[in-house]
Amino acid sequence: MADRSMMTGAPAGKKSTLKLMSKAIYVKEAALRNLFLLCATVAVLGVGLIFVFVGVRGWPVVQDPGLGAFLFGKVWSSSTGQFGILPLVTGTLVITLGALLLGAPLAVGTAVFLSEVASPKVRAVVRPAVELLAGVPSVVYGFFGLIILRPIVADLTGGLGFGPLTAAIILAVMIVPTIATLTEDALGSVVPGIREASYAMGATPWQTIYKVLLPAARIGIIDAIILGMGRAVGETMAVVMVAGNAPQFFKGLGEPISTLTSQIVIDMSYASGTHRTALFGMAVILFLISMGLVALVRVISNRKEDR
Amino acid sequence: MCPRAVVRAALACILVGAMFSLAGCGGGGSKADQVIVNGSTTILPIATFAAEQFMEEYPDISVLVSGVGSSEGIVTVSKGSSDIGTSSRDLKPEEDTLGLIDTPIAYDAIAVIVNPENPVRELTTEQARGIFSGRITNWKEVGGSDLPIGLVNRDEASGTREAFKKIVMGDESFDIGAVILPGTGQVRSVVAAEPRAVAYISLGFVNDRVRAVTIDGIVPSEAAVVAGTYPISRILHCFTKGAPAGLVAEFLDYVLSSAVQDSIIRDAGFIPITAKETPGG
Amino acid sequence: MDKRIMNRIALAVLWLCAATTVAVLGAVILYVFVNGIGQLSLEFIFTWPQGVNAEGGIWPTIVSTVYVTGLAMLIVTPIGVLAAVYLAEYAVQGRLVRTIRFAADSLASVPSIIMGLFGMALFVETMHIPFSMLAAALALSFLMLPIVMRATEEAIRAVPKYIRWGSYGLGASKWQTVSRIVLPAAMPRILTGLILATGRAVGETAVVIFTMGQAINLPVSPLDSGRPMTVHLYILAMEGINLPAAYGTALLLMIMILFFNLTARWLLRRNRRMQG
Repeated sequence: MADRSMMTGAPAGKKSTLKLMSKAIYVKEAALRNLFLLCATVAVLGVGLIFVFVGVRGWPVVQDPGLGAFLFGKVWSSSTGQFGILPLVTGTLVITLGALLLGAPLAVGTAVFLSEVASPKVRAVVRPAVELLAGVPSVVYGFFGLIILRPIVADLTGGLGFGPLTAAIILAVMIVPTIATLTEDALGSVVPGIREASYAMGATPWQTIYKVLLPAARIGIIDAIILGMGRAVGETMAVVMVAGNAPQFFKGLGEPISTLTSQIVIDMSYASGTHRTALFGMAVILFLISMGLVALVRVISNRKEDR
Repeated sequence: MCPRAVVRAALACILVGAMFSLAGCGGGGSKADQVIVNGSTTILPIATFAAEQFMEEYPDISVLVSGVGSSEGIVTVSKGSSDIGTSSRDLKPEEDTLGLIDTPIAYDAIAVIVNPENPVRELTTEQARGIFSGRITNWKEVGGSDLPIGLVNRDEASGTREAFKKIVMGDESFDIGAVILPGTGQVRSVVAAEPRAVAYISLGFVNDRVRAVTIDGIVPSEAAVVAGTYPISRILHCFTKGAPAGLVAEFLDYVLSSAVQDSIIRDAGFIPITAKETPGG
Repeated sequence: MDKRIMNRIALAVLWLCAATTVAVLGAVILYVFVNGIGQLSLEFIFTWPQGVNAEGGIWPTIVSTVYVTGLAMLIVTPIGVLAAVYLAEYAVQGRLVRTIRFAADSLASVPSIIMGLFGMALFVETMHIPFSMLAAALALSFLMLPIVMRATEEAIRAVPKYIRWGSYGLGASKWQTVSRIVLPAAMPRILTGLILATGRAVGETAVVIFTMGQAINLPVSPLDSGRPMTVHLYILAMEGINLPAAYGTALLLMIMILFFNLTARWLLRRNRRMQG
């Protein structure tokens, strides 16, 4: 931090004739510091702008059709002017929960494997695999789900193969890298020596993992799962391609269903008037959900630090 | 000897400043030598190909084609953010006041398609309405096997859906439990792969992996459409705000010329708008 | 149950988890590769899509992808790096810093479709920037910002403290220390973060659809629009008019992203080796 005493290198308060820094440099330093502060606040600015711009466009929804009818309305049908998002919210919930049920155990298992079981050679294969999974674009996953997974699910459920099952499987695969990398970090940050203590008492690796490490890292793992959930809630393109996009309540694993994200993408291109504000209203809700999840993670992590 | 990061910071300021000044110059509409075409996914392949050939003949003009749906085409052309709004459906009553002029470019039939394994080969308009509204739920009700019907529908932005709704559905709404796919190709692929699936697509997109059923006894074909006997047929529109002029008129004239009508439009499986004038179709 | 048997079963399950993950990745990559490799040719890369069925190549989409990603990188790099410099070197822990970090985390978890809608609402409708590379790049840079900030901050923190003390001891100002000593030392990791952010941007679809439109076009100025490879893949897949081209596009896209990821890892490994 640039302050006057740095200019002379002498203890504050003592006058010295030595000048290590001219006033010009001091001003420049201060200016630069403020420039960087400005850059840093761009992030805050961004979040604020998103709120404002998306929120302003979605705000009219409070009056028409009214907050209650919007949030709890059971019918979404733009041709008849009904904009109740409850079926879409349940769709998002069902698919997200399904993705977590399938993906979280797989991810945590993979992370535990990487952290505790794998030899360096095996780790060198599996860890890049997890990172590369994160890099595959969502359209490619959607494409894969559409062409490969859909017919399989169609045979399994007797329907057309579009629905919560297909969507949950694809989403599960997509959130595995998120959850796995964060879980691995969490496992790596447990109290050092805890593993050795466990082994010294005669525990097997599994007992150590199950009774010592997982509980010790549980806050980090919960954080990871919550962030994975956030990713699943916000995923769009893959869901549009495999969920079936029917704005109805859950009818079955193989029956089409729609989510907040997929409905926005499908309708936005041509929506106008109330329909459009309803879509922006949905976007606000999505934004609130994802920010809420981030806040939840912070609260949980802070509580851990307080202990 | 400037520190790298200061240079970068300066560059950023210059760049951002330049962009904002550019943004001030940038308008939302079309440039002088550009034609923006937007709208129906059904018309998209024709429009794209016609644009390509047009630009080969007139290299100074650029024609930008995109398509998300007929409704979007109508909205953008009436707002002025596109020059031509393509639509595979007619204007709705509330759109009549937008001041749009229509240049029809082709006829099209909408075929109801089923999987080739499906024994059902003919339906009446009444049966089609029952199927797509969800009243008829099993193929045996229309003379097929005992198999639940798998409904595949288009998204609401689709002109094909609007046209089908107007002609076949009338006042009834589509079954809300139908799978909605935003794109003709996927609709066709699913019907080709699933024996219980049924959908409707433009006749031009029917290939040998799906089968088009007859409606009210009439086989969907060019002759039937031109003669007006096939019930589910429609006109493909190019809407402009006001009468077409300048480059837009040139492009539309090109689309109406035989170079496009007899080759591109036929290749795409549609029926040239000029077919009615020539005897024998 | 005997604890050793339990142990063996559990370890087998863990092996299964890891194997499933690797197998899924392998399946996706293999699937795209096998179906797309037949499409890849110089003609596919360098010619335009033609005809009713989008035959031919995907050159304009490749250019659009590279252009918009490059533009986004140009915008986000100074802002993200300098923001991280502030957080790592200048900031005092306090409410402002906590707010900034919370904002960065929130930005990182914003669903991309909201970023796309926001981009459309702010840049296209309010600022009247037309559907273009510029609007999309601005929206993408918001998406990339948290990644760049986090990576740069970690990179700067990883630079040992004694290097800075040496610099201050020689009489350098804070800025001189940061710009000539710390940043160059942190550069490999910063680059890694930038490359990873770029890889993310290349794979984005929802953001771009709402800010760039979809017309196939070869962009020259930032105000031109175009269609990037992700959107092209989506359209080809949904319209079903040319599935082989869809596979080819998917394969090319994945090769690009793989290239970015592998380069980032290589840089990181080289940096670790050099630091000993």
